[in-house]
Parts: sequence; structure tokens; C-alpha cells
Amino acid sequence: MFSISQDFAPPFKLISPFFILGGVFYLLASIYIFFFTADNLFVQDTKVLSFVHLYLLGFVMMVIFGAMAQLVPVVLEVGHSAVELFYAIWPLLGIGTLLMAVGFLGYPALLPYGGTVVLISMMIFVMEIFSTIKKVKKFSLVISSVLISNTFLFFGIIFGLTMALGYAGVIEVDIISLLRSHVYLVIGGYIIVTLMGLSVVLLPMFGLSHGFSMRPLEISITLMSISVVLVVISSFVQYFFIEYTAYALAVISMFIYFYMTYTIFKTRARKEIDIYVMSLFFGYISMVVAVTFGVLYLFISYEPLLLASGWLMFFGFFGFVITGHMYKIIPFLVWFERFSPLVGKQKVPMLADMLPKKSSHAQFVFGAIGVSIIALAILMQNDTMIKAGASFLVVGAFALFRNVFFMINYK
Amino acid sequence: MYSKEELLLAISTVIDPEVGFNLVEMGLIYDASCDDEGNVKVTMTLSTKACPMHQMIVQWVRESVEKMANIKSVDVEVVWEPAWNITMADENVKKALGA
Repeated sequence: MFSISQDFAPPFKLISPFFILGGVFYLLASIYIFFFTADNLFVQDTKVLSFVHLYLLGFVMMVIFGAMAQLVPVVLEVGHSAVELFYAIWPLLGIGTLLMAVGFLGYPALLPYGGTVVLISMMIFVMEIFSTIKKVKKFSLVISSVLISNTFLFFGIIFGLTMALGYAGVIEVDIISLLRSHVYLVIGGYIIVTLMGLSVVLLPMFGLSHGFSMRPLEISITLMSISVVLVVISSFVQYFFIEYTAYALAVISMFIYFYMTYTIFKTRARKEIDIYVMSLFFGYISMVVAVTFGVLYLFISYEPLLLASGWLMFFGFFGFVITGHMYKIIPFLVWFERFSPLVGKQKVPMLADMLPKKSSHAQFVFGAIGVSIIALAILMQNDTMIKAGASFLVVGAFALFRNVFFMINYK
Repeated sequence: MYSKEELLLAISTVIDPEVGFNLVEMGLIYDASCDDEGNVKVTMTLSTKACPMHQMIVQWVRESVEKMANIKSVDVEVVWEPAWNITMADENVKKALGA
């Protein structure tokens, strides 16, 4: 019998710090945007690198790791190999992120330390996931996606640490070449493949979707994986054709993935448009626009297009897909811990009751306006608009921070 | 000892906290029977295989039946064939969900 044991579920005190810290880093990253001006916005600017690490490691990775602590037993149908290791992951990832963010800002000597701490944190995560996967008897597409994404993460962080040592002047490496591999391994290989794999579990589960084909997901994960491998190869073998084939495959993969989510959405039985669905809508639309901007950049090489693409991918797609799922996962975890033992003994709340409705909608509206204004500001190279967008985003980030505490403390 | 309808009535006290409907009106309970000794067999499914509440829901179903008088044992079997879909739910559920 297919069974998810309650014994497999990690305690809430193990997972909650990931979501709290994720909220803190999201807020910090939003405030950081006030310090950008249009003229210093270019991809390799150290301020941009600091911001990207603060956001991706502190918010995106932190929340994904926390969610994986809960989702891995559900997806893999086995208990964690050593779930207690998650107690070490969040402090190390938090400290490492801060060291890296400060290091990029003007203290490069901190980068190897930050990089090493992040490396240790991620290695613990990757190894725990690998040893958990070893217990799996039958591999499904979703389990394969977890294996693939974590393998890419493993190599991505090694590339990242090598670059950190290069930035700090400890070793001599071609940072430009390594950067492309690092970005692709971590973002395309880990974050996107993870989101792809988990979304075919989570989207149908929350939307009660049935009768859709998994074939598009198989194709999109395969194409994205080939793309990542080709980009890594192209970092070492300077061959134009390999690099551009990789980009083309990544674009096709993303559009097929978008089609997949569209079919899941079309077949869902739950038609309500709640904060979860609204967040997903905004996230997926941001993704399509981001990919389109990325393709345009390949043809016209206007750097603001690349920056706007990255912005929409990070704060639009990753940001909203993750915050949307936080509104589902946190109430479930709290309910599971606090209210499930009371079922049948007294009246317990529904999961939807545990959501701060007005505040979550405020977070969505302010966040979405902020992301859109900043995307335009980047394209138009307009300082005032960056500050205006940041103002909206910070209000939205405060709301998210408040909402996390509201849900965690729901009694 | 108990009819299918009586068993379903007992199981209908189990509510899915995510959607807010009971398992019977969701169409998740495929069969329920009870022999003369009070041994109950419930055949059910879940709306999705990757349901993190799987074990809890099964436990709630068992407990809801055990509350009935003279029940000796409760065997809850979760099956995936036929796979659940929204057409199995009651009209009020479909209407409320917008299906």
C-alpha cells in the first residue's frame, strides 16, 4: 500500500526557521533594491552579485530546502535518511549567505569563507537527499527530477566555491567561463528542474487536477538537463554552436513546461482563484516574459533586457511561485503539528482559515506592482522608477514577513 | 450488522481540511461492508497519490467506524484503481468547487 507515515514528517520546529529566515532575506533583498541606480546596473556588478546571492541563497534556496524537508517523504514515499541534519542546514546557509553578500559588496576576503559555509550547508542537504533517494525502490519521473536537480546543485556549488576563491584572489581561474556554468547549474539545473518536478505533484494536488499527460514534463526536464550540460561544456570548449544550442533547448524546455502547467490548470476541479492561484498566475506570466526577454537579448544584445529577464525570472517567477506555495505549505505544517491530534475531539480549523486573507492579498498586489515597475525601470534605465518599484516591493515583503508569523503562530 | 449506508454515515464525519468536504461527498469512499461479527472493510481512495495526509485520513476513517457500537475490527484499504476524479463527487461539491 502506498503510505506516507506520520513518522516520516519532520517536526515543525525543524522546518519553521527556513520559512522565517526566507521571509527575512526576502525583506532584506527588497530593501537592497533602494541602493541600486540605473547606471550601475550591469550583470557582473558586485552590487548585483551581492543582491543575487542574498535573494537566491537567502530566500529561494532557504525556502526550497525547508519545503523539501517536508516534501521529500511525500514525493519519494520514504522517510528521510537523517532529517536532523536539517537543523544544521539553515544556520549555515544563513551565515554563508550574509558573508557572501557582504563579501561581494567590498570585502572579497570574506567570499571564500562565505562560499565554504554555503558549500558545507548545501553538501549536507545534497548528501541527505542522495542517501534518502538510495532508499527508493521504484523510480518515477518526479524522483528522477529530484536526483537530477541535486546532482546539478552538487556541481553548481563546487563551481561557485571555485569562483569565490578566484574573486578573493586565492586561486587564478577564468571567472567569466565558470560564472556561466555556475549560474546554469544552480538556476537551470537545480532551481528550475526542482520546480518542474515538484509542480507536477503540488499543482494537481492543490487544484484536484486529473487526466493530464506527464509526457511534456519528461520532455522539458530532459531538454533542460541537456541544456545545462551543454552550457557547462561550452564553458570549457569555446564553441559558439554548443552554447546557442543550449540556450535554444532551455527556451524550448521552459515553453513546454509552461504548456504542462497550463494543461494541469485546465484540468483542475478547484476553480477558486485564491492567493495561491493568483501567485502562480503572476509567477508563470513572469516566466514567459522573462524567457522572451532572454531570447530577445540573444538577438539584440541590449544588456537591460538580460537584467530585466533575470529580474522577472527571480522576483517574478521564483518569488511568486515560492510565496504562493508558502501559503499552502506553512498552514499545512502548522495544522499537522497543532490541530491534527485534535481531530474528532474538538472543532479544528480548515487550512484556508489559517491564511491572513487581506494581508496575503496586499502582499500579492504590492509585490506584483513592485516587480512590474522595476522590470520597466530596468528596461528604461530609470532611477526614480527603481525606487518607486522598491517601495511597493518592500511593503509587500513586510506583509509576507507578517503573514509567515501569522500562520506559524495560528492558534 | 451495519449496512453500507450506516457505515458511510459514520465515515461522513471525516472532513478533508484542505477542501472542507467530507470524504463520502467527495466520492473517496468506494465501498464499506460489515459482517455479522462486526468486522468492517472499507475500500477508499484519495484525491491524489502524493497526499501528505494519507495516513491521518486513513486513521480518521478507522476511528470514525470504531466509534460505532459492537465493532470488532476495521480494515481500511486504499486503492488507486479506479483513480478518483471530480465526477465521483456529489453535486454540491462540484458546484462549490466550480467543477
